[in-house]
Amino acid sequence: MSTSGLTEDFWTAVGRRELVRPVCGDCGRNFFTPQVACPACLSENWTYETSDGRGRVYSATVVHKPPSPGFAVPFRLGIVDLDEGWSMLAELVGGPGERLPAIDAPVHVTWIEREGRVLPAFTEDIS
Amino acid sequence: MNLSDIAIVGVGLTPQQKRSDRNSLQVALDAAKLALADAGLSHTDLDGIAARWPGPGGTVLAPGSADWSTLLGVPLDWIGDSYPQGVPALVDAAGAILTGQATTVLITGGQAGVLGGGRVAAYTQPGNEFVAPFGAFTSAHFALVAQRHLARHPHARQGMAEIAASIRNVGSVNPEAVMAGRGPYTADDILAAPPIVDPFTLLDLCLASEGGAAVIVTTLERARDLPHPPIVVLGAGMEWLRQQYVDPARYEQTWTIGASAARKAFAQAGIGPSDVDVAQLYDVNSLEVARQFEALGFCGPGEGTDFALATGIGLDGKLPTCTDGGLLACSHIGWGGPTLKLVEAVRQLRGECGDRQVAGAEVAIASGAGSGAQYYNLALLGRAR
Repeated sequence: MSTSGLTEDFWTAVGRRELVRPVCGDCGRNFFTPQVACPACLSENWTYETSDGRGRVYSATVVHKPPSPGFAVPFRLGIVDLDEGWSMLAELVGGPGERLPAIDAPVHVTWIEREGRVLPAFTEDIS
Repeated sequence: MNLSDIAIVGVGLTPQQKRSDRNSLQVALDAAKLALADAGLSHTDLDGIAARWPGPGGTVLAPGSADWSTLLGVPLDWIGDSYPQGVPALVDAAGAILTGQATTVLITGGQAGVLGGGRVAAYTQPGNEFVAPFGAFTSAHFALVAQRHLARHPHARQGMAEIAASIRNVGSVNPEAVMAGRGPYTADDILAAPPIVDPFTLLDLCLASEGGAAVIVTTLERARDLPHPPIVVLGAGMEWLRQQYVDPARYEQTWTIGASAARKAFAQAGIGPSDVDVAQLYDVNSLEVARQFEALGFCGPGEGTDFALATGIGLDGKLPTCTDGGLLACSHIGWGGPTLKLVEAVRQLRGECGDRQVAGAEVAIASGAGSGAQYYNLALLGRAR
């Protein structure tokens, strides 16, 4: 897996189980994936800030066919809109009844390990 | 000259197979030779190329890439490393011809000797660092769009299955289709097939197959001296929202992708959706067909599956769609897949499709990409008057 200079700090933070995201120092915009410049104001003056890892499910699905070895199926995949105003793709794990969270269900970040590597994932909140 | 002075004069389709014993460059060359023969032209008549296949380096420049001018034995005036093929390559070729950079352009590509062994086709596994670790192959991106649509329009699931069955049943009677002779299928068969990524079952999703496809593009003036009735480009449009398969597709942004491209293309052509006789829509999955009916203006928002059922998209329907069996049942050859849509559109407009010919087809639509891919393109093709 290649990591460019833009994204190394993201994965370093993930390695210590900390979720971070780019925040623009000029306009305050949160964005993801990391880009050279803020997509709202084109400023390169952005830094990684710690996310509280809370958000809502934008969409979610169940994957039944393994995309490659190393994936046990079925697994749940979702797009999560973080409360800070950014979003990311991630696996959905655990949660009430291990069900597929509904759209807009509240979730929080958790951590999984795959092939010796830590990855962010999200779990549906217990209501 | 205008866009409508650009004509497709030759089409070539190699055998479409689940697995080919040839390689990608060989099938691209095979398809090129077939298209040239169909056009009544020699390779020495070519002065431009827009090729693409899953080889290294692209078309001509990078070391290790295919060197088409050497391969064809002719110095070329223009090279377009079109990504992807199909409509974008056609528009590139038209631009080259209209600006005087070339007169006769080959579009060719496909894939062979690259599938097999993997759980899903390698080219459907995005390598991006924010995608690959989460197992999001291409159909999963489309599924995340579909799930949001079905949450609002749950009845569309049945319509998706009807669409998939209809297109697969057309493919069943096309002897060139990978799935020739398979079926017939009912909507229940589609729903009962093994699930791949919700809401899609195996039969909602396109094939990953091997083969080549090519078309030859030139001016209408030259086309009039060639064997087949010229098929001209009435209009075209493209949209590029975002690089595919990195940032996940958001339903509210991508469900309508194609709407502005369609408005542009229909305005250029001076016609509307009701004038389209055959629709070679990019059917990577069953729901994308319904989505395109909505986005392209054939029906209103949320009405895509109802429109398909009420109108009839089979060979006996009012809007025959994916008349070769589409990506679902005829073939999907990776980067060359979009060219298949041009080939079938041209064949229908020429009236040479035999048992699957749509009587009196004068205007065809050919499209590429879709919501999960976050880009889209379409062309309107017609018989020259």
